[in-house]
Amino acid sequence: MTDISDHNPPHESTSMIPAPENSSGEPRLLFNPPIDIYETPDGLVLYADLPGVDSEGLDLQVQNNRLTLFGRVTTDVPQSAQMLHQEYHIGDFLRSFILSDEVDHERIHAKLTNGVLRVELPRAARAKPRRIEVSGG
Amino acid sequence: MPIFRWGQPWDPFQDLEREVDRLLQGVNLTLHGVRFSRRFPQVNLFELDDSYVLTAEIPGIDISQLDVTIASNCLTIKGTRLPPAEAGEDAFRRQERFHGPWQRKIQLPDRINEDGMRADYNAGVLRVTLQKAPSAAARHIKVNEGP
Repeated sequence: MTDISDHNPPHESTSMIPAPENSSGEPRLLFNPPIDIYETPDGLVLYADLPGVDSEGLDLQVQNNRLTLFGRVTTDVPQSAQMLHQEYHIGDFLRSFILSDEVDHERIHAKLTNGVLRVELPRAARAKPRRIEVSGG
Repeated sequence: MPIFRWGQPWDPFQDLEREVDRLLQGVNLTLHGVRFSRRFPQVNLFELDDSYVLTAEIPGIDISQLDVTIASNCLTIKGTRLPPAEAGEDAFRRQERFHGPWQRKIQLPDRINEDGMRADYNAGVLRVTLQKAPSAAARHIKVNEGP
């Protein structure tokens, strides 16, 4: 069963690609956020780590069969600060997925809490298993 | 030349790849790297005139599960990130996010004023501000004349 597929393979999930420049001319980085996807009786649930993204910076779209999430990261470290040790870079998050028809696009529901996005992808009613009564002959 | 090539030639997403390639044409490829073998959480440390600022990407933590301590100029942050309670072990289709207990220790380069510590957690980013200790004033040492 393929309700959802990532349009890039998992080993690419932490690759980083440059984003178009913003208005101030500073190039911004773009990251693929790490995700979890698991199955529930009602469908699928997707989690994505988007540290630094608040609800105003999040853009979640379903167009045709593609679910796209984009998170703009805001940071308030002053420009004058001197970097002593760096393990991560500041950049925005982008990832998209192909949804199958088994996902009920109308009932997709999302919530962003503490930098983690949770998206509920309910299975369309017709895709739920239906018991067929067999009458004796 | 395509900038990205995801998957195999039979990959059903070829059209998307072409679209992304097209969108990225003309983008100046100044930085291109891969973040592998990530430690969790990842931290950055900054120095300002009178303070140090540590930021850590720790999305999805309940602050009651977050422990920030300092001892001998060593800052320790630790906690646990639990997987969603309703997800069974075999329910996962994909699991890329970190789950489990974690701990990071960061040695600070200078003495700090432990009373001036402040920690904020916002949108999954922990930010710890540590005031530098006022530089010790020069102390005169009296020289005693020998007998």
